[in-house]
Amino acid sequence: MKTRIAGLAFAASIFAMPAMAADTANIWVRADGSNFMPRIVDAFNKAHENQIKLDIIPNAEIIPKYGAAAAGGTAPDALSLDLIYTPAFSAAGQLEDITDWAKSLPYFASLSPAHVKTGTYKGRIYGLPFSADSSVLIWNKKLFKQAGLDPEKGPANWAEIEADAEKVNALGGDIKGFYFSGNCGGCNIFTFTPLIWASGGDILAEDGAKATLDSPQLRGAIDLYRSMVKKDLVPAGAQTDTGSNFFAAFAAGNIGISPSGAFAIGALNTQYPDVDYGVTFLPGKDGGWSSFAGGDNFVVTKGTTKLAVVKEFLDFAYSLEGQTILAKYGSLPVRGDIAKEALKDLDPRYQIAAEAMAKGRTPYSVVFNDLINSANGPWTQMVNEVFFGDDVDGAIANAQETMQSIIDQAPQK
Amino acid sequence: MTTIAATSAPARPRKLVGAGRRQWIGLLYVAPAVALVVVFFIIPLGMTAWMSLHNWPLMGEHSYIGLDNYWAILHDTRFWNALRFTGLYTVVVTIAIFAVAFPLALFIERPRRLTGFYRTSFFMPAVIGFASASLLWSWLLNVDSGLFSPAAFDLGLTGKKFNLLATFQPAFWSIIAMVVWKVAGFTMIILMTGLQSIPTDLQEAAMIDGAGPFARFRAITLPLMRRTLALALILSVAGSILAFDQFYIILRGGPRNQTLTAVYWIFNQSFVSFKLGYGAALSMILLAILVALSTFQLWLLRKPEGVD
Repeated sequence: MKTRIAGLAFAASIFAMPAMAADTANIWVRADGSNFMPRIVDAFNKAHENQIKLDIIPNAEIIPKYGAAAAGGTAPDALSLDLIYTPAFSAAGQLEDITDWAKSLPYFASLSPAHVKTGTYKGRIYGLPFSADSSVLIWNKKLFKQAGLDPEKGPANWAEIEADAEKVNALGGDIKGFYFSGNCGGCNIFTFTPLIWASGGDILAEDGAKATLDSPQLRGAIDLYRSMVKKDLVPAGAQTDTGSNFFAAFAAGNIGISPSGAFAIGALNTQYPDVDYGVTFLPGKDGGWSSFAGGDNFVVTKGTTKLAVVKEFLDFAYSLEGQTILAKYGSLPVRGDIAKEALKDLDPRYQIAAEAMAKGRTPYSVVFNDLINSANGPWTQMVNEVFFGDDVDGAIANAQETMQSIIDQAPQK
Repeated sequence: MTTIAATSAPARPRKLVGAGRRQWIGLLYVAPAVALVVVFFIIPLGMTAWMSLHNWPLMGEHSYIGLDNYWAILHDTRFWNALRFTGLYTVVVTIAIFAVAFPLALFIERPRRLTGFYRTSFFMPAVIGFASASLLWSWLLNVDSGLFSPAAFDLGLTGKKFNLLATFQPAFWSIIAMVVWKVAGFTMIILMTGLQSIPTDLQEAAMIDGAGPFARFRAITLPLMRRTLALALILSVAGSILAFDQFYIILRGGPRNQTLTAVYWIFNQSFVSFKLGYGAALSMILLAILVALSTFQLWLLRKPEGVD
């Protein structure tokens, strides 16, 4: 174990080269941002004397790598961090308190509320919104047409999801009605919990202090998925998909409906221009909708000497020019007041995702990784068991108990 | 290292003149090896032990907590479950590897037509890394786009595509098959060198005495291969107890966390839950178990040879 840590620290020290001039700040981003981040950094570097040096780190490695680098004193000056980790990082005392600066921004009130909420720890602000991604439902218009459905109308409640999926599935062959990654905690918190939220339920309460899995809304959403699995509307591979097929399954063009994210709009348009798809909200049982407001928070390493450069860069990212660059290359705007303007020349389907983002929700927890994202955590285990297993009640009860005990054992600082 | 120390030691009592200098030269000779061991083993080991006595998060301040991590392990049922699964896996996979490697070794031991070809093909998978082999098999085992399930379906063996990785038994045996495919060739080579070191006249003498092939195998081949078997066994057991890659890459510890190994649990505690101190304590426990097991195996397989 120790050698692994040493190795990481060594790798990190290569990335975080000492700055050449006093006015170069080093920033890390996870690979999800590899499309828009280099563009905005380039634009900033061209227009400013102060410079940003960007490093792109694989998604799964950015957390341990940052931790090791911070321990070794070679952490970057700032980091674009998956927003759900902000509470944990803040709790660890690793981040700079930027409350005063944040509140001095004239547009502070119109910054994405989901980001600001996760960026706030014990009343102080440690993270500000940088990039945004919301969960939505996408459907394949071509398959809808073939199945005799209205290709311009996506499903608006659970019964319609199942009925439409069934019709598409009836086309037969390799074509399936519905797809979800059945063994992926992160994918399902992103796309499955909005179904629960939109119906009035939740899985965590009181700022993440209580797990509330035992609800009729969760049970109802589970029954929807189980019924589709039972009717064979879902490819067999879904049961063991740990997320690698989350986007690819729909992109191949054989899936009628799939819950996905705003990122899919950019990815489909650029990589799969042949797929004709529609975007709608993730609905509740009898209508209504909700969304998971995801993306990255911008956080500053505690004690960095480049605070001025970092602030200058974030200011630029929040300008109309910055927000437009982000939107063009795959992130939703994070400033509500200029979102419409930043998106006006882009694919109109972004508007749905932007609206979903504005009213989206984000669970708050300092142990999010343990509870939800970990491939071996209670949430991942539960979704797999309840969608495909025999003992739904037992699986829910077990997950409820495990999640609560993880929450209770979390360091109280 | 022990051999170097052993050869330089007897020189001392016989010749006292220049003994000091000789010792220094001896030290100089072993210095690079010592330095490597110290830098890459002793220091990391010491740091792991030191970390295991702390509440050491991945980020933020660490604090000394004495043996609390070790007490916590006592109540960590998921670690003991992982250890139990690791034990099961080790026993099954070791038997499976030997069951395949021994016949292969007997088959390729003596030169015959195409022996070189067989040896190379059997050994080939051993040169692939565990991670790459796991990636290859995770594709082969994929139910939608892989090889086995679609092939069985297309041949009409199964009514619909069977997801091998969805339930415990098929998933577990798929991993066993993959590991045997990957490791048996290596064990085969070790066993082959053991077989070849047995003098043929012994076998011939036994044959003249009227011993059948099975009796010769039991009374001559096996006892004379004790050391080789010990080596192969220890390598296989130690490797299996430290298993991680295949379960991480192919199964993610699933289905439903039933294939979490001990190392996988240590990885999770350290890099998913960010509890490095606790992960270090788990590593120390695993190290102790491994040392104990290896010592036991050495004792088990070496003692009768001392009697010989």
